[in-house]
Order: sequence, then structure tokens, then C-alpha cells
Amino acid sequence: MARALVNIPPKAKRGEVITIRTLMSHQMETGFRYSTTGAPIPRDIITTFIATYNGEEIFRAELFPAIAANPFITFTTVATESGTIELTWRGDNGFAASEQATITVE
Amino acid sequence: MAGRALFVGLMLLASVTPGAHAATLELPPAGASSCGGCHAPPGVDTAVPTLHGKTAAEIVAQMQSFRSGAQPSTVMDRIAKGFTDPEIEAIAAWYARQK
Amino acid sequence: MMKHAISRRGVIAGLGAVTLGAPFVSAQAAPRVVVIGGGFGGATAAREMKALLPGADVVLVTNERTFTACPFSNLVIVGERELTAQEFGYRSIEKAGVRVAYSAAKSVDGSARVLTLEDGTTLPFDRLIASPGIDINWEGLPGYGMAAAEKMPHAWKAGTQTTLLRRQLEAMDDGGLVVMAVPANPYRCPPGPYERASLIAHYLKTRKPKSKLLVLDAKDMFSKQRLFLSAWAALFPDHLEWVGLSKGGKVLSVEPESLTFVTEFGRHTAAVANVIPPQRAAAIAAAAGIADATGWCPIDPATFESRLVPGIHVLGDASIAGAMPKSAFSANAQAKVCAAAVATLLTGGTPPEPRLINTCYSLVTPDYGISVAGVYHPAGGVIAEIKGSGGVSRADAPPDVRAAEALYAKGWFTTVTREVFG
Repeated sequence: MARALVNIPPKAKRGEVITIRTLMSHQMETGFRYSTTGAPIPRDIITTFIATYNGEEIFRAELFPAIAANPFITFTTVATESGTIELTWRGDNGFAASEQATITVE
Repeated sequence: MAGRALFVGLMLLASVTPGAHAATLELPPAGASSCGGCHAPPGVDTAVPTLHGKTAAEIVAQMQSFRSGAQPSTVMDRIAKGFTDPEIEAIAAWYARQK
Repeated sequence: MMKHAISRRGVIAGLGAVTLGAPFVSAQAAPRVVVIGGGFGGATAAREMKALLPGADVVLVTNERTFTACPFSNLVIVGERELTAQEFGYRSIEKAGVRVAYSAAKSVDGSARVLTLEDGTTLPFDRLIASPGIDINWEGLPGYGMAAAEKMPHAWKAGTQTTLLRRQLEAMDDGGLVVMAVPANPYRCPPGPYERASLIAHYLKTRKPKSKLLVLDAKDMFSKQRLFLSAWAALFPDHLEWVGLSKGGKVLSVEPESLTFVTEFGRHTAAVANVIPPQRAAAIAAAAGIADATGWCPIDPATFESRLVPGIHVLGDASIAGAMPKSAFSANAQAKVCAAAVATLLTGGTPPEPRLINTCYSLVTPDYGISVAGVYHPAGGVIAEIKGSGGVSRADAPPDVRAAEALYAKGWFTTVTREVFG
């Protein structure tokens, strides 16, 4: 059960540096644990985060074990034009989630 | 002259400040001073029983049965598990001497 | 006793005239112990010090003539108790032979071993015991400050702030949203925010049932969490919502004019706003050089002597006490151990290895108590919990056990305040 929180300013001035905050809650499994029967419990982590601005990739992160159960990723970008910012998370076991928000640039 | 004054002074000190000498400093055994946070001397209106007036054997038996779980409790089982038998015996003997 | 004190003073004056600068003699003569802080830690330390070393000159420095206790002040906020029940004076401590200086500690010269007070008094000491408690870190939360605290009370130091929050809750219309901000660790009384949240939810449920409490927390994990969460689910499903860090609960700033909390992912405007702000050791700790970059005071786990300034011992909320929480029970227990260590050091002995106990009770309702307890010892340079000891109340305890713990909570407060101030 995953749940994303995002904070993208709905409005910005052209050329303004904006901060984008994201937090993906996710039931992590480190891959280092064993079940009561001794079998390794398969890893289940978020491995990739990608942000696009009107289709163009502006930020990407590769995630590895020991970073965070619920990765909080915040970054800045320049508000260039009105449009859509799309955020995508991918992970083990085919995990995929995305969020999008529109931004009006004046 | 000064040397003699100092000597006399020290003699006087020795006679009037017994508390300042290690020989007379009586400290409670390890852990005992914490008990007084909840366990009051007699005459205080509280649901927590007083330890004053109990014999050392009573306190030891009570602590051991809290620790083993034989005596049900709310918090004393968790506290009793932090003490070894000799530590409990020392605390009990000290409390038995408090009036 | 009094006769002894007078004759000793005469002797010291005589010695001073002929043997100035003989530290051996002055240390042996009338050990001077100054204690900073009139709370549970400081008042206990001063009293215990005088009891262990009746010949010592013990001065307690406190800037208030009346001490207002924080434990149980959450009951005052919700109208279940009066603030006067939290107030204590120093008369009995003075009767026990402790001199009380009613002024604020201003600065400490650690090498000359002299404490200077706001009123100009200088107090030389052989050993200083500092239990100054906390200060609000006013710079720690953007938008918050002393003026903001009049609109969004912290009520994290008991007194006028406690009654302010109470009046705001009483004046709130039924249907209002109460919002509480909880800081990251460390802060005074780890389970305190959750006891307060419980009691406010209980108040809303019984008095203003259309209202709700929203708790915005900078943490995902907290003290007695499972017990609180299961009690909240059972008792206050419609009146309390807790939002932890990974659900966006961290408050980044506040806007006092509109009682608004700005989190990483949203804004919440309250009818009544309670901001529990970040904290640090009280200002005298930094002035004395005993606080490190964290804002808190590192100590030796056996003697509570500062790691930074020899001759100064630090205990209570201001200290970095390892596994022991910043609680009144801890401060009281630490003060007795610290006083024993100081008494031993002043008489030329080696302090024994201590054992310390903490028990923190929290009330979910006035008749529903839960607790966390621990037994501690010095290990690896810090105060560590003894393995196998301690823990929280049983998750499956029946109502009569919860009621008994509420009763024991009140018993603890009665006993400890009597021991320290009575």
C-alpha cells in the first residue's frame, strides 16, 4: 500500500526557482531479513524516481538499500512555462506510481 | 605561627564537621535512592505502599516474585528485572534500617 | 547543628586569614555546593546534598519563588485540575538548611569556580550542580516566537501558558479544529505530547463533540506509541487524528495571525493552536560552556560531571542522559545519584557505580493510565538501559489495571513533590 504526498506550487513567476517536495510512503522490505522458517524475505524497495516538466526529464534519482523506507525527495527547478509536472516512482516487484500537477507560469 | 594556627584550625574542623568525612558518609546502595520517587514514608496519602517498616526479607521476597511474575503487578515487574539478587538484598537491608 | 555551623564559620574565617590559597584545607573545611535550578532535579539535588553532607554550604539558585510543576499540567489544560495544585515553594528546603538565592544564574567561571547571578551576587563553589531545565528554541520554528506564543501557546513550561491554552479551549465553539505541533527528538517529556493529545481528545469528546484534534508530528515513532494508538482507536476515533512524519506531519513554519500550520505538504488553520516547539538546554548551559553543539549537555554517566567543564555536574532535562528520558522522575533519581557522587568526591572518595530508575506515567483519560519504566546503569560511557528490564504497560491490560496505573501516577506526583518540596 503506497501513498504519495507532493507539494508543487500551483503558480510561479517566469524564471523563479521553485521547490518541489515529494514523500512516497511504501511498505519496505530490506531484502536482508529472513522469515520464521529461515527463508530470505525478498527485497521490496523503491528504486527510481523521475520528474518531468512538460514531458522533459528534469530530475532523476536512483535509490538503493538503506536510503529510506519512505523516501522524501525534494529538489528545485526553474519555472519556465505553464504546464504539467509529472512524478514517477518505480520499484521492486513491478512497483509503479505517479502523480501530476499543473503549474501556471506568469 | 601560621603553621600552628592552621593545625589548630584543622583539629577544630575535624571535631565539628563529621559529615565532611568519608568515614561517616552513608550512601544508599545502588538503585535504592530511586525507589523514593514513588514509595513515600508512612503517612502520605498515596496508592503506592510504603517500604518503611518492612523487613528486608519481605522486600526481597516481594521483589523476587515481581521479577518472576509470580506476583502480578503494573510496573514493578519491569523494574525488578533490572536488579540482581545481591542488589535487591542490599536495597532491602538499607530500607529495613530506615525508620 | 546551628551551633556547629557558627563555630565552623569562625574557624574558616581564621583559616582564611592565615592560609589563603590552601585548596586542600578549604575543600575539607566546608564544601561549597551551588545548585542551579529549582525544579525536580535542582531542588532534589540541593536537599539530598544537605542531607548527605550536613556540614556543606549548599545554595540553591532559582529565579522563581514558586515552582510550577509540568507533570499533571495536561490535566489543568483540560479543566480536570487547578494550576494551584501544581505550585510549590522552597520553605521546607530552606528549613532543611539549604540557602536559596532567588535570582537567575547569569554566568559561570568554570576555572575560578564562581557562579554570578543576575542580581550581581557571586557564589564561589567547590562543585556546581546544574539542573537548569529547558529553554524554548525560539529560532527553531520559523514564524514562532515569544509574541506568537501568546496566540499559539506552547504550554510546555507550566504556568500562564497552561492557563492560556485552557482558556482558549474553553472559549472555542463546538466544531472547532484544534491543531497540535509536536517536535522531533529530543525534547522535555517524550510521551507528554501524546498524553496531552489524549486528554484534549477526551475533553472534546465529552464537552465539544463536533470538534476534533489534529496532531502534526515531526516523528514516525514515539514513546508508548502502540498503547496510545490503540487507546485512541478505541476511545477517540472521531476526535483525534495523528499525522506522523511519513504522512506529511512535519511542521515547517507557523503563521500566528491566522493560527496556521504550514507542513511540507499542506496548510492547516486551527481554531485553537498548540505549538510544542523545539527545545534546548536552558541558556545558562551555553553560558557556562557545558552545552555542546546539540544544545544539550554531555555528562559522565556515573557522576553526571560535565564532559566539557570539570567541577560542574549536569542532570535533568538539560543533560544528555543516554537512555533515560527527560522526565521529572529521571531528574529526581539523577539528582540523588549526583548528590551522592558529589558528596563522595568532596570527601575524597570514589563514587560507586549507580543504578537509576525511571517511571513515566501518562494519562489517556483521567482514569486510564499507562507507563514506561526502565532501570539504568553506566555502560560504554553512557547511561544505558539494563538488558531485560523496563518496557511499557501490557497491551492487553484490562480496565482495572489502567485505572490502577492512573492511581499510581497520582501517587507518584504526591510522593515526589512531598519528597522534594514538602
